[in-house]
Amino acid sequence: MRSRFISGTRAAPWLACLGLLVIWQIAALALKNDSFPTALAAIRAIPLILGDKEALINILASQRRMTIGFVVAIIVSIPLGLMMGRSRAVASFFNPLLMVIYPVPKAALMPIIMLWLGVGDLSKTLVIFLGVSLPVIYHSFEGAKSVEEKMLWSGAAMGLSAAERMVRIVLPAALPEILTGCRTGLVLALITMVTSEMIARQSGAGNILFNALDMGEYDLVFAMIIIIGAMGICLDAMFETLRRRLVRWSEPQFDMPLSFS
Amino acid sequence: MRAPAQATAMIEIDHVSQTFQTSARQDHLALSDISLTVEDGAFVSILGPSGCGKSTLLYIVGGFVSPTQGAARMKGKAITGPGPDRGPVFQEFALFPWKTVLGNVMYGPRQQGVKAAEAEAQCRALIEMVGLKGFEDFYPKELSGGMKQRVALARTLAYHPEVLLMDEPFGALDAHTRTRLQNDLLNIWERDRKTVLFVTHSVEEAVFLSDKVVMMTRSPGRIREIIDIDLPRPRRRSELLLDPRYQKYVVDIERMFDDGGAQGGTL
Repeated sequence: MRSRFISGTRAAPWLACLGLLVIWQIAALALKNDSFPTALAAIRAIPLILGDKEALINILASQRRMTIGFVVAIIVSIPLGLMMGRSRAVASFFNPLLMVIYPVPKAALMPIIMLWLGVGDLSKTLVIFLGVSLPVIYHSFEGAKSVEEKMLWSGAAMGLSAAERMVRIVLPAALPEILTGCRTGLVLALITMVTSEMIARQSGAGNILFNALDMGEYDLVFAMIIIIGAMGICLDAMFETLRRRLVRWSEPQFDMPLSFS
Repeated sequence: MRAPAQATAMIEIDHVSQTFQTSARQDHLALSDISLTVEDGAFVSILGPSGCGKSTLLYIVGGFVSPTQGAARMKGKAITGPGPDRGPVFQEFALFPWKTVLGNVMYGPRQQGVKAAEAEAQCRALIEMVGLKGFEDFYPKELSGGMKQRVALARTLAYHPEVLLMDEPFGALDAHTRTRLQNDLLNIWERDRKTVLFVTHSVEEAVFLSDKVVMMTRSPGRIREIIDIDLPRPRRRSELLLDPRYQKYVVDIERMFDDGGAQGGTL
């Protein structure tokens, strides 16, 4: 009974993908529009991109920027968010700043950043950094704020200093919330990566997509969308595996299907 | 029978008052001029209606809260902050949810530099003593309330505090579990007779466990009466409940609270 339930939930996401492709195929055949290739045509174009050395270098460059932006963002944001969560002074200093930045689409800052830092890696990585930072700060802040006072007192009675309590109690206690923020941050990193490359058209996955669009190679456009989407799903699934391993102690005792929870 | 050659003061509370600011920015006097001496090896309960500041008094002794006026001392030295000589056990358990039962209990000894193997051996023995053998590798979320409080007690005992500060430790438990934990606490306490400061709002619990019951008034908290509980130890619940002396203590204390305008029974 249980094993059938699990295999059923495992297969569900794949069935959903397959269903989507079938609908796409039928819709494209019915509409017969040049700018809407069939699913098969798009899938057939994937090896054209992945087989091209130039394109691969571009995609890897995108991923490098995304990784650097993401990693630097969490290294900066987690300590900042935790300190905000435990110190009213730090929170009241940073909160207004973040409230101003939060609703601004980070890609909208891209033209200004390009003006200052050029169209190279630095500008794009900075935009990714900004995109990732805010949800990670916010969730770290919320996580740290809700750490039980008595837990910290218990640690203090054992002789932990304020700094030790921060690293050894606040950080692990807030970890589930922090990782929720990181997961949102990861998706935002992918989004800002593509949008930054759409604005600063020089290299990267977003650039391939828009060059193909300019040339009217719609198969390639859709193939690139599939590739970017697949990258997102893989990254998210990898992160989710890591997250679950780290916070198994806080999880409810049932499994959610894949990473679509 | 408990008869220390000479009773030495473990904890002295000296004219302590505590004022809080309410959310309406008004000063609220929680504790008013409390003076109390707890002798070495004594089991002392602080009994009072909710909101009388009895937990605050315990937090002051723990060093978690600084008194607005007056001072608390431990062995003659002013208390300025928390320390491993005073081990708290909270109603909320406050276990570390990312650590297993063993990990929680080992936390204090490891912090104090006890070698891992040695700490583990001691802590496994402690876990067995509080009745949780076999649950060493469980996480707190997998345990019931009573089990969590057993872990919290073992975690505090593990770093050998000289004083146990228990803040309504059984208040969140059902009646049956509560009774069992009271019995077990008494058994454990009777082995090494640590000084215990125990906050509760249950008259029966205070009389059953304590050498001395400190009765507090409703807000602002003042000491109303200190009653020595002269009942033989080791105490057994089955014998004690039938003992007229025990019954008299309970009835007398309840009556005193009634006179003070509080509702009878559980306060």
